[in-house]
Amino acid sequence: MVRELKIERLGRIPYVEALELQEKQVEAVRGGVAGDTLFLLEHPPVITLGRRADPAHVLVATPELRAQGVELHTVTRGGDVTYHGPGQLVGYLVCDLAARGATDVSGFLRALEGGLIDALAALGLRGAARPGYTGVFMAEPAGPRLRKIASIGVGLRGWVTYHGFALNVTTRLSDFAAIVPCGLSQVEMTSVARELGSACPCAAELDASAREAVAAAFSARFG
Amino acid sequence: MPREIKMPKLSDTMEEGTINVWRKREGDPVKKGDVLLEVETDKADMEFEAYMSGSLEKILVQTGATVPVGTPIAIVRLETDTDQDMAAFLAARGQAPQAASRAPAGSPPTPLPSPAAPARVAPPPSTPAEAPRRGAQGKARPTPLPAPPEPSLAQPAVRSEVAGAVSQLPFFLPDPDRVRATPRARIVAQEKGVDLSEIGGSGPEGAVLASDVERYLESLENQQDTLLEGDIHATPVAVRIAEELRVDLARVKGTGPGGRVTKRDLRAHLEREAREGPSREAELFGDEIKLSQKRKFLIRNMVDSKKTAPHFYISLEVDADPMRALRERLRGEGRHITYTHMIVKAAAVALERFPDVNATFRSDRLVRFNPVNIAVAVDVQDELVAPVVKNCQGRDLEDLAQAMDALIRKAREKKLQPDDYSDGTFTVSNLGMFGVESFYAIITPPQSTVLSVGAVRQVAFVESDEIRVGRRMTFGLAVDHRVLDGVKAAQFLAGLKRILEHPDELLASNAAHGA
Repeated sequence: MVRELKIERLGRIPYVEALELQEKQVEAVRGGVAGDTLFLLEHPPVITLGRRADPAHVLVATPELRAQGVELHTVTRGGDVTYHGPGQLVGYLVCDLAARGATDVSGFLRALEGGLIDALAALGLRGAARPGYTGVFMAEPAGPRLRKIASIGVGLRGWVTYHGFALNVTTRLSDFAAIVPCGLSQVEMTSVARELGSACPCAAELDASAREAVAAAFSARFG
Repeated sequence: MPREIKMPKLSDTMEEGTINVWRKREGDPVKKGDVLLEVETDKADMEFEAYMSGSLEKILVQTGATVPVGTPIAIVRLETDTDQDMAAFLAARGQAPQAASRAPAGSPPTPLPSPAAPARVAPPPSTPAEAPRRGAQGKARPTPLPAPPEPSLAQPAVRSEVAGAVSQLPFFLPDPDRVRATPRARIVAQEKGVDLSEIGGSGPEGAVLASDVERYLESLENQQDTLLEGDIHATPVAVRIAEELRVDLARVKGTGPGGRVTKRDLRAHLEREAREGPSREAELFGDEIKLSQKRKFLIRNMVDSKKTAPHFYISLEVDADPMRALRERLRGEGRHITYTHMIVKAAAVALERFPDVNATFRSDRLVRFNPVNIAVAVDVQDELVAPVVKNCQGRDLEDLAQAMDALIRKAREKKLQPDDYSDGTFTVSNLGMFGVESFYAIITPPQSTVLSVGAVRQVAFVESDEIRVGRRMTFGLAVDHRVLDGVKAAQFLAGLKRILEHPDELLASNAAHGA
């Protein structure tokens, strides 16, 4: 069955607001009154802890985080600790896998990775999936550690997905020093800006072109 | 009839799932569409909904436990079920107990309440083995695992004699011959040594198709390098099951693709042990020591290093008296400087003088490191860590000593952050405090050398035809031959020796850099 993918660009919205939005969208999709949608947005600085999060993976004390304007949220999803902030393109994909005849979560995760790898290619970067580690990494390591450029985590209600991915575009990478991302201490976070190095246009321009590259890649894959 | 809820299969490759949280408690009423629990696999969480109305009679697998796909995790009593239905159902389960009652995952499931009816009640028309086929999602979702083995499979005569996990074969080790598969799938599986019971079939009734076998073989290829298990040759499913049942995979003969141990092999192994009693090996090998992820990473790193970096070794004896004299002199000035501080400082100076040593071999090229980052191996409660003193070039002795002490303190308090032990370009390892005279450590990739420092010994030596007494220590250097030849390595080590035997240089060089 061919399903369309609607893409909504929301700008910068708080984490909690985006969560509510997804809840509504999930119910609408399940009720058959809305189609599959990809929300593209970014969050003000926020650290989220999943249900299995190890508090030891947040490396900065809460008052210090507050002082720096970083919120801390415990969320009812699985997984460990995640950071979101300006310059990170967040994509929340609400998608009915059953209606698409693709009730395969790992297939869906691989498709998300594929979409992001396509988008990176359009930006001139080579991303790669690492079997066993969900997310997108740089294909060519230039150091002893894996360089992760996008994180992925999805939730499902029945076969309707929510949550999605977070691609670092011009993210201030030093902010990740506050956490051990997804509990993977062997992983170093990187961004599109950092990987492009001197070839990098100005931040706002890069954010926009990354967003459009992702929109195009996901339309092609899920549209 | 009451229904069993089974661990759902969220994807073709999913073998097991973790129960994130139960949203309903035992006894809670359940409406169709209510979220019963959350299941987690890989990076996805699913809110699992009831597909029938009734009440949650029994939770068989608790929050936090991980169980294979198809494991019964709860019993739901339908609105129409009478107490007799319930009793008959539980009796039937009691008579042919299923995996849930002995799945070795995390928290063991609570034992079933003993039913009111006697144990030998005839099974109801719909046996628990059939019921779940109707699907966890209310759709036809074939379970990947065939019906649980009948009691006869476990050889009841022997069962009573042998205790423990070996005595009863768990349901997730089904007889491969009983797996539903198409004839072509069987032929392909036979050819490639694939164990059909490891594959979730996509055909009717969960039958394994030839294409499923092909896909499985492919996934095996991909999964291989994600295992941190080093040389253990087994399918991922077998690795996980062996962990749960505490079977030492090294003792199991593998007949799977590429000689891998499969579920089938585990089954044969357990059956043999049940028949013949524990083997000589089982008597020899005892408890397994759980490895941390960090430790596994270290093991993998060391094995890779020894396999890929051709190590050679050189050693030199260093006169330790001048170092000792300097240490005493500085102590007189209230400065606490150790041999290791001096060695790290000297190594930094020597690495600046011999930049070819501060280099690495990367995809057919030799590349110099920009900074001089010296890792210092430290043992913290049986865990080896090597915090890295970054950018040692041009820093004076005291500055380096302080940076090093701060890192070591952090290591002892287990507060090292990833950045603290990353990006080393040279390592110093010192076993002198244990009286070890000399040794050679293994190189940590992507570094190309590691300095091993032995104990300071008082020795008698001959100099100018006289027997004298002095202090000596032995430095061993392991070298990656792809990066350095013997001559350059020797020049470096001799340079290091010279600096340490004229330790004023350790103080002088800082003046030169400070200028």
